[in-house]
Amino acid sequence: MSWRGRIERVLAHVRRRRLDQDLEAELEAHLEMAELDARASGLPAEEARWAARQRFGGIEQMKEEHRDRRSVQWIETAARDFRIAARTLARTPGFVAVTVLTLAIGIGATAAVFSLIRGVLLTPPPYREAARLVLIPSARTDGQQQERARPWAAAQWLEWQRSAQSIQSIAAYRWVFDFLILPDGAESFQGMVVTPEYFAVAGIEPMLGRKFAASDASPSATPVVLIGYQLWQRRFGGDPNILGQTVRINRQKAPVQIIGVMPPGVRFLPAPDVAQEPNYDENGLVDIWAPYAPSSEAEELKRPRWNIVARLAPGFQAAQAQAELTLLTEQQAQTNPDFAGFTPNVQSLTSEYNRDGERILLPLFGAAALVLLIACGNVAALLLLRGLGRQREYAVRAALGGGRAGLFRQASTECLVLALAGGTLGAGLAFGAVRTFQLIGGHAVPRLDAVTTGWPVLLFGLGLALLAALLAGLFPAWRASRLDPNEVLKGAGPKATAGRGERRLLRGVTMAQTALTLVLLAGAGLLIRTMLNIAHTASGYDTARILTMSVTSVQMKADDFHRSSLARVQALPGVEQAAYAWGVPLTGNNWPMRVIIEGQPLPASAKEATELPLRSITPGYFAMLGLPLVEGRDFRSNDDGQAPPVAIVNQAFTDRYFPGTAALGKRIWMNGPDKPANTIVGVVANGRTDDLTLHAAPEIYGSFWQYSAYSKHLLIRTKTEPLAMASAVRSALRAVNPNAAVEHIQTLDQIRDDSLASRTFAMRLLIGFAGVGCLLTLVGIYGVLSLSVASRRHEIAIRTAVGAGRGEIRSLILSDGLRLIAGGLAAGLAGALAFSRVLRSFLYEVEPNDPGTLIAVAVLFVGVALLACWAPARRATRIEPMKTLRWE
Amino acid sequence: MSNVDMSKQRNEVPYGTLDLLVLKTLETMGTMNGYRIARRIEQVSGDALKLSQGAIYPALIRLEQEGWIRAEWGLSETNRKVKFYSLTKAGGKQLAAEVRKWEEANALVARFLEAAP
Repeated sequence: MSWRGRIERVLAHVRRRRLDQDLEAELEAHLEMAELDARASGLPAEEARWAARQRFGGIEQMKEEHRDRRSVQWIETAARDFRIAARTLARTPGFVAVTVLTLAIGIGATAAVFSLIRGVLLTPPPYREAARLVLIPSARTDGQQQERARPWAAAQWLEWQRSAQSIQSIAAYRWVFDFLILPDGAESFQGMVVTPEYFAVAGIEPMLGRKFAASDASPSATPVVLIGYQLWQRRFGGDPNILGQTVRINRQKAPVQIIGVMPPGVRFLPAPDVAQEPNYDENGLVDIWAPYAPSSEAEELKRPRWNIVARLAPGFQAAQAQAELTLLTEQQAQTNPDFAGFTPNVQSLTSEYNRDGERILLPLFGAAALVLLIACGNVAALLLLRGLGRQREYAVRAALGGGRAGLFRQASTECLVLALAGGTLGAGLAFGAVRTFQLIGGHAVPRLDAVTTGWPVLLFGLGLALLAALLAGLFPAWRASRLDPNEVLKGAGPKATAGRGERRLLRGVTMAQTALTLVLLAGAGLLIRTMLNIAHTASGYDTARILTMSVTSVQMKADDFHRSSLARVQALPGVEQAAYAWGVPLTGNNWPMRVIIEGQPLPASAKEATELPLRSITPGYFAMLGLPLVEGRDFRSNDDGQAPPVAIVNQAFTDRYFPGTAALGKRIWMNGPDKPANTIVGVVANGRTDDLTLHAAPEIYGSFWQYSAYSKHLLIRTKTEPLAMASAVRSALRAVNPNAAVEHIQTLDQIRDDSLASRTFAMRLLIGFAGVGCLLTLVGIYGVLSLSVASRRHEIAIRTAVGAGRGEIRSLILSDGLRLIAGGLAAGLAGALAFSRVLRSFLYEVEPNDPGTLIAVAVLFVGVALLACWAPARRATRIEPMKTLRWE
Repeated sequence: MSNVDMSKQRNEVPYGTLDLLVLKTLETMGTMNGYRIARRIEQVSGDALKLSQGAIYPALIRLEQEGWIRAEWGLSETNRKVKFYSLTKAGGKQLAAEVRKWEEANALVARFLEAAP
């Protein structure tokens, strides 16, 4: 057989319709010509037609042979099996609808979570050979946690670069936040200051223009930047002539020249030193890159301000780099005491990149897989029951020589058709679900914005469908092929009942479903408990009706702007109170400060000093949040640069550092012992400002007029709906400074919800999965019990005939159902104990094995499951003994 | 392969031979439609061979797929759209090869029969 022939035969399946039409045309022409010839030989019309047909032979048979010979045999057979299966299934649309929908729900849930996993975890960071990239954050040598990871000094990483064998190349970077000054107003951006090697280390190339050259970083060079694709599109309309244009940046004196545009989707590398900055978004897209090279100035070389990314040399592992860098850093600390106390902690970029995503997505994927398993259980039961209903058909076919293999093939093809339909529909559901996840997910999952659906998800759905077909269909198909036609055909009426073996099997399936459902319910229950616990935990402050926005005065003296804008906003109708603050609750913002507290032992070196978060606020901030002052006074508007520095501390601070003595009047040194100290003028009540699930830690507040911040929040308590005030506030700010940047407008309640996003997201998904699992399982229980009642009709009729009351019959069936549920319950509780541990990091004030939750979900499930048993039990009591016994 | 329908009890064309007959017919007669090919085979073989004319079509599609014959639409004598078949270059070679094989097989069988006592 030639290759051409083979290809043609495969193509014949695609061209099926046309080939059939062509054959039909030829056939008709053939018969006409034959008829014409026959009439020419003297036959009358009717006989001529008959003779033509006669000479032609069997038409249908010829067509069949035509099809067989022109196509590939197994494709033809499979296609025929599929057509037959589709026709057979079309006769029972109800069955098909239920089965396909059940599978689609299971497959949809799993494929939806898979798309998140694919987008967030399986898509490698967009750097060349990302597996060889490592991040090198610092750790304290004494093992203590750092409030803010200390970055590295240029002197340190320059030496790593020179001496470490395991490192091929190294780049230093720093996160920056600033404003572009454009003709139509200022716009904030997040950017990176990088050493020129950064692009080579990361393995990324600009799509337009060029990377930084070493000369770009020299102080005498023209300042240049590369811009991100998104910024290019957003602010420059994708202008192809962008290269060479200059832009103004707020905190840079000279305009900077754009020399390149990076491709879309380049995100930040983590900069743990600035994680507390209000505008820091580790998962954000980089807008601007600026070059940097350390000068040879000794002071400059010693300043710790760099985060490090490195590319491992070929053949070296992260552990080798760790050992080598640890040693180098120790030597540096010996020669230079400024570097003492910190050691590198080499981490693979990929694992760092995926950590948050794995924490939430893997448990959710497990939960979705459980839903799929439960769905498969229902489908298996449905297929078994369908097989029972069709025993006679199968038996007749077997008796006519259909063959076991043929029966098996047909039953499994039907299942495959159902599964593929379910898979396709499921992938469709998954597409919708992913959109929903992106809407409700917010910050729950990192880089959720980059998740896409499409072919891979559809293929995954179809793959799951094959798996489901195997799980749910194999056994029913095997049963169908094992039927003994004699046994079946001897029986008289249509069989709608099941034998002992099938019933036992179905009970097993239902128990397994019950167990899986209980695992899901327990997970959902634990997260609901967590959210309730959080809701009932007093945060210490009131987030209601507070509007927040980040405000930056661009090109105007900050102090003037803050004072006059605050006065203007406070005067607006509808505003109760307003304040500026750096360090709004639950945003993660604060300045970690190394402080010396009066009366506390002096630290041996500056690096061992206590680290405490400093926040900066204007007077009235505490009153607005409902945080009462326990002692002393609030800040005043004259606590400014001319006045002596003051501080307010929280209750946790006084409890820790001044137990039993007065904190008022004590001093705190923020900038080392040689600078003026801040005097404590007030003590404020505790608030859970870092995290609602954590007790308040010691906090220090400074006066905003003494600790001004470049970008900060404006908070406004409004009389009515806060967001409705947004535009009035913005106009008031713009009236003071037309260039003021007003961004991230949201309510404090939204910030609060955001801080709980991953828990809320996990809870919603688990509730959804558990609900669906529950519903499917209840359908399963209902089905099994109904079947059991139908099969035991005879027995029940006899019991009723000999005097059993309705109550007895009912409890007979209900106890049957209860046994069924109890079996699954026991396994489910064991499963819940085993699996709930994966949720530990999400839970708050509830243990993964919390008995209360387990009992509650078990009771809840038994309650609804008994409802599912009620209808079959009722049906059992309605059985009329005379009718039933006479009929059988 | 179940091309030969045994239930009919007719003196069918041996499997594989029909392809050869079709190729030979086209070589001799040039371009022809399906009906004419079937008629020609019947006429040449006289009454010795009983062919269901329909059997020609599965053979034609297969030969066309292999690239040995070419089909083009034309009009029949009854003014209907019908395919006209002609031999391709590859078909000519194939025919030559088939004929050689056939003759070799014939010669072998003939020698065998003559050698019998």
